Amino acid sequence: MAQQPRNTTSGKATNGKSDGDKPAAEESGRRRNSGGRERATSGSAANRGKAPDQPRAAIIGSNRIPFGKAGGAYAEATNQDMLTAALSGLIARHQLQGERLGDVVGGAVLKHSRDFNLTREAVLGTALSPQTPAVDIQRACATSVEAVNVVANKIRLGQITSGIAAGVDSTSDAPIVVSDRLRKTLLRLSRAKTVPQRLKLVGQLRPSDLAPVAPNVNEPRTGLSMGEHQAITTRQWDITREAQDEVALASHQNLAKAYSDGFFDDLLTPYRGLVRDESLREDTSAEKLATLKPVFGTKGEHGASASMTAGNSTPLSDGAASVLLGTPQWAQERGLPVLAHVVDTEAASVDFARGTDGLLMGGAYAVPRLLHRNGLTLDDFTFVEIHEAFASVVLTTAAAWADEEFCAERVGVPSPGELDYDRLNVTGSSLAAGHPFAATGARIVGTLAALLAQHKEQHGGDEPVRGLISVCAAGGQAVAMILEAA
Amino acid sequence: MRTHILEQVPSLAGLYGKALGRTARAAAPAMLARTPQSTQLPAVRYAVEEVPVDAAHLGDYQRLLGEPGTDDLPAGYVHVIAFPLAMAVMVRPDFPLPVLGMVHVANRVQQHHQLHAGDVLRVRAWAEGLRAHRSGTQVDLVVEVAGQEGPEVAWRGVSTYLAKGTTLPGLALIETDDGDSRASAEASASRSREGGQMPEQTAVWDVDKHTARRYAAISGDRNPIHTSALGARAFGFPRPIAHGMYTAARALAAVGTARGPAFTWDVEFAKPVLLPSSVGFGLRRRETGGYDYAGWRQRNGRVTFTGSVRPAA
Repeated sequence: MAQQPRNTTSGKATNGKSDGDKPAAEESGRRRNSGGRERATSGSAANRGKAPDQPRAAIIGSNRIPFGKAGGAYAEATNQDMLTAALSGLIARHQLQGERLGDVVGGAVLKHSRDFNLTREAVLGTALSPQTPAVDIQRACATSVEAVNVVANKIRLGQITSGIAAGVDSTSDAPIVVSDRLRKTLLRLSRAKTVPQRLKLVGQLRPSDLAPVAPNVNEPRTGLSMGEHQAITTRQWDITREAQDEVALASHQNLAKAYSDGFFDDLLTPYRGLVRDESLREDTSAEKLATLKPVFGTKGEHGASASMTAGNSTPLSDGAASVLLGTPQWAQERGLPVLAHVVDTEAASVDFARGTDGLLMGGAYAVPRLLHRNGLTLDDFTFVEIHEAFASVVLTTAAAWADEEFCAERVGVPSPGELDYDRLNVTGSSLAAGHPFAATGARIVGTLAALLAQHKEQHGGDEPVRGLISVCAAGGQAVAMILEAA
Repeated sequence: MRTHILEQVPSLAGLYGKALGRTARAAAPAMLARTPQSTQLPAVRYAVEEVPVDAAHLGDYQRLLGEPGTDDLPAGYVHVIAFPLAMAVMVRPDFPLPVLGMVHVANRVQQHHQLHAGDVLRVRAWAEGLRAHRSGTQVDLVVEVAGQEGPEVAWRGVSTYLAKGTTLPGLALIETDDGDSRASAEASASRSREGGQMPEQTAVWDVDKHTARRYAAISGDRNPIHTSALGARAFGFPRPIAHGMYTAARALAAVGTARGPAFTWDVEFAKPVLLPSSVGFGLRRRETGGYDYAGWRQRNGRVTFTGSVRPAA
């Protein structure tokens, strides 16, 4: 496994063997060759500066369960239940029963400590070969876009030929823990040797120590909720209430239209009676959104200008999503389509705790860097997917991209240009679909890959059809990714 | 000034007991007999040669304040272990001001190099700068700490206290806003240099009686104004108030590793943080390096403390 893909000769005939169970050395040799060949025949602008003979990581398909509202249809479902459901749908659709995949990379943000092997446990509940390994990862709201990156990189390095990236989260079944004082006392009790020692420990407990502690998604370093953080960023970038409501309205309208067009028919498996995302409001309107009261940034001297409402912020959600990746060769051998390729990924973080940038402005760094590295601007993308943590995140991120001074001075690369909002979240995003934290990245990758394939099929041509993803995350983080239609 | 060496840093709890006794003894004769009050500070420097660092205690402090759990001693932690020696100076019978009820108005710490958990610290403490203030009398308590790096001072703290309403005859009124070396003056001057504008909010702190109890347990500062409703009322506060140094130390923790190993950390306490309360906090990078910070009552925006952490010149 130590060989570098670039050391192999490109254009060699492939041996055409077709299963995932071959010894690693044999497999990787075949893959490297096939990858090299594919690379050579797709000399698009997106390949500028890339090693020419890396295998490409193909997105073959995706599946998610409809996203539920907190306390809604999935109130009783666990993370493992939902992840298993999403994976099972993906496996059924792509006929992967009994297959040993290279790896399944998944995770959850709100995770019970008993779920230390969440993804592996979910895999064991599916029809995949029980010999399929799995790994849990976590990068807050960017967990499953990072999972896609991990699987894609393993494929490109020749370590695996197939894999699944997935994510799940439940705010309804969130873990509740005991207080630190109770926990520490219980641990000391288990170490105590004498009755007096034990009595002394128990005697130190106060009634307040016995109260359960619910998970808190506020930023640990600042104590502020994401909404409060973004309310500050919203004001700093002069984002209006109207612009935010417009983004929210478009999200609901686009998602509703995508459902009625049947766009999600191949991307979604109904679960627990849910066939559509529970937060989707087909009947919402600019007027209705305008009546909602601001909920973030309402305190303090700027309270009167608060503009973030429940309508232009994502609801707490439950759900799971998954993406199937592989080498084009692996897909071909199984008669599976290749929708798109993962071109490149960039993660970024901002210094939000010291107020240098807003908490959710990581995308303002990740995207300009990623595009600069690939010699691209926003104009080179047919579709842009910005995770709608809040409508305002879309607007502040796009404003930063267009800000030449910001990009030059803060990011250190040229501005990627102005965002054309007609290319943005064309089948809706988190505001309408909901946002089960770790599931969102896989939802977006799956959706965008399908959009790219559809566009390529409808419009043909040799020009590359590209899509851009930007997902902000807790801790001032973000992940940006470029996909290209196959 | 002579140096008086103590075996160990005394406990604050014992010192408060002493202070209470002194206040009770002093109150009656001072009012009745018009005993001439001293305008002299005790001409003594207290010293402790070997102060060990307790790792578990350090960990408790780091967890409460949000400092990383390394073996580096946060500058606020050095204050916690060294300041009781200054308190010992304040409870001496010849200290001219009533200790209980004095208000901590400002604090400056100059850290010249980083102290570590493995260091055995040498601590010195004395009082200086007794001066009249428009609302009473101010004094500076100076604490110097050296580690194993050598004989030189690694950490120097100047804590400015105000005895509200106490005037000592014969003391000249020194206006502290004209840039002398006092911590409070420097803190306010540094703020006005930056234009006086408040930093944007970067955090919110929920500070309640549990926070105060934990800081009291760690620092030993169980002054009743922090821990008891009755005690707070006795000193004119409607509710118990947060330890000023807790808020300042949390601000320092928010600056994080950007402070570097050598820095000056200033704080000026404008109003007490009543418990429980939600404290808005803002941090802003200074053009000239370091950070300015401010805390305010989230409810009404009233400023409770301001300060800065600046790289050592």
